[in-house]
Amino acid sequence: MAQSNSDSHKILPIVNRYSLAVISVALAVMPALVLQHFKFRDVELPLLLFAIALTAWHAGVGPSVLAIVLSSICFDYFFAPPLYAFSLTPSDIPAILVLISFAVLVARFSAVRRRIERDLLQTQDKLQAEVVERTQQASLLNLTHDSIFVRDMSHVITYWNRGAEELYGWAPYEAVAKRSHDLLQTVFPMPIEDINAELLQTGRWEGEVRRTKADGTAVVVASRWSLRRDEANRAVAIMETNNDITDRKRREEEIRGLNQELEKRSADLQASNKELEAFAYSVSHDLRAPLRHMAGYAELLQKNASSALEDKGLRYLRMILDSAKRMGNLIDDLLAFSRIGRTEAQKTSVNLEQLVKEALNEVQPETNGRSIVWRIEPLPVCYGDRSMLRLVLVNLLSNAVKFTRPQPKPEIEIGCVDGNKDEVVVFVRDNGAGFDMKYVDKLFGVFQRLHHVDSFEGTGIGLATVQRIIHRHGGKVRAEGAIDQGATFYFSVPKI
Amino acid sequence: MQKLGRILMVEDDSKDVELTLTALEEYNLANEVVVTRDGEEALDYLNCRGKFSARSRENPAVILLDLKLPKVDGLEVLKQVKAAENLRYIPVVVLTSSHEERDLVTSYKLGVNAYVVKPVDFHQFVNAIKELGAFWAVINVPPPESVNK
Repeated sequence: MAQSNSDSHKILPIVNRYSLAVISVALAVMPALVLQHFKFRDVELPLLLFAIALTAWHAGVGPSVLAIVLSSICFDYFFAPPLYAFSLTPSDIPAILVLISFAVLVARFSAVRRRIERDLLQTQDKLQAEVVERTQQASLLNLTHDSIFVRDMSHVITYWNRGAEELYGWAPYEAVAKRSHDLLQTVFPMPIEDINAELLQTGRWEGEVRRTKADGTAVVVASRWSLRRDEANRAVAIMETNNDITDRKRREEEIRGLNQELEKRSADLQASNKELEAFAYSVSHDLRAPLRHMAGYAELLQKNASSALEDKGLRYLRMILDSAKRMGNLIDDLLAFSRIGRTEAQKTSVNLEQLVKEALNEVQPETNGRSIVWRIEPLPVCYGDRSMLRLVLVNLLSNAVKFTRPQPKPEIEIGCVDGNKDEVVVFVRDNGAGFDMKYVDKLFGVFQRLHHVDSFEGTGIGLATVQRIIHRHGGKVRAEGAIDQGATFYFSVPKI
Repeated sequence: MQKLGRILMVEDDSKDVELTLTALEEYNLANEVVVTRDGEEALDYLNCRGKFSARSRENPAVILLDLKLPKVDGLEVLKQVKAAENLRYIPVVVLTSSHEERDLVTSYKLGVNAYVVKPVDFHQFVNAIKELGAFWAVINVPPPESVNK
């Protein structure tokens, strides 16, 4: 159905075109015949030529051939003597030949002209279509929030979208036809020659440029350039897409400034910390020598001159020696404490059970043959610095041994409780002197003591050392206790 | 008892010298102690230079070396001793006032034979010195190369 329809559509114009040939020839012949009747001769030739030209113009080659043939026949029949007969006398032939030649020429020129006109029309249509498309594209570019403009290779702006107007403050009519770098006072991050070289080589460039808006304020934009080439691969235009990053840049600048300050402060802090550690070390080191001399000479005095001294004098000497010894211990503990801050933790997997055994051996001499009941539960493997954790256990066990001294049936328990999935919580519990929970916060401070030196000797550094080591492992320490009811110390270290 | 070797003590503090000598005396070890008061003097002695150019050519059985010394410090003395072909087999014992990790590590890197922190307690100090003296100067048999020239 559709097929026959389209066929009839095709056939109709063809019929029309050939009808045009017949009608136009007929319309030329009729007035010529009328005029011939009134003895007006020789009008038929121009009229027939006009009919042929009309057909050629409007109906194309086929109908114009038909018109030529019809014209020739009509000329011979109606206008060439003998009239109203198809006989040709030799005198008619030139006239017929002239008619045919003219007719062919007219038809030819008409056809050529018509084709040219049709081509022209087609080109015009195409151009119009392109204009519509480009206008649509341009209005799309106007929709985007990005600022977009196009400039030719001598940086003259040819297109300026609404985003560009919003960003820079110039309307399209103010910006177009200006040189972009002059208008915007662009400051490039690198020599413009390098940028152009990269653009020509890769077809694009990206960077941050500083520009000045219409109102004179400075703006930092992230600029992306794309090169457009024509069919002959000549660079013809550059499209720039710009985003305002002024605020972001300012914030970045602020953050950088803050970071620098922070780094400086941290460096200062580290330096003064180092200085302090060095000072503590040097003081402890240098204090030790005169102390040793005092103790040494007091000892020699006790040994060589004891017969010359009374009991009182001997007691004084003992006090000197005692104090020297205590000060020695204090310095040693301080040195150990400061060493934890100065040395790098060497973390490995640590067998806590093995470590407890070693710590027990170390505190054995302090038990002085007392019958202490040790309860040691199985302990897991943890992750940490072996020698530091050993010091933790030695300090806690030594404390437990020390503070159970008044207890007739001393018991010390070592075990672990459920922590979270990442850490091991170990405790050391004793049934010794205990402490008042009121002072629990003081327990882990340097030089903090909850008992008199006379009842329990010590430097007040042991638990501070424990806390420092555990903190360096990312763990926590805490203590529970009550006076005369013992104490429990907990510490947590990372699981393996 | 075997013949006592000579002990070279490098110590700038006169009190430490006196206390150490006293400790060695108690065990009859003091007779053969040579005392030098700084690193330079110690190196002069070991290399038979300056005022020690006329000393007997035998190397000491042991060097007791303090680390904090005027002019040339103890670690430098240790380095030079261990680098010298004719001295490197002499046992060197560092005797220092306190336990400092860096010194300990450096000393062992340089090839020290023992590292002892002087105890504050005089009894312990005497015991340490006695044992050192007895071990290195009496019990230990020095390698043949430790005898100079």
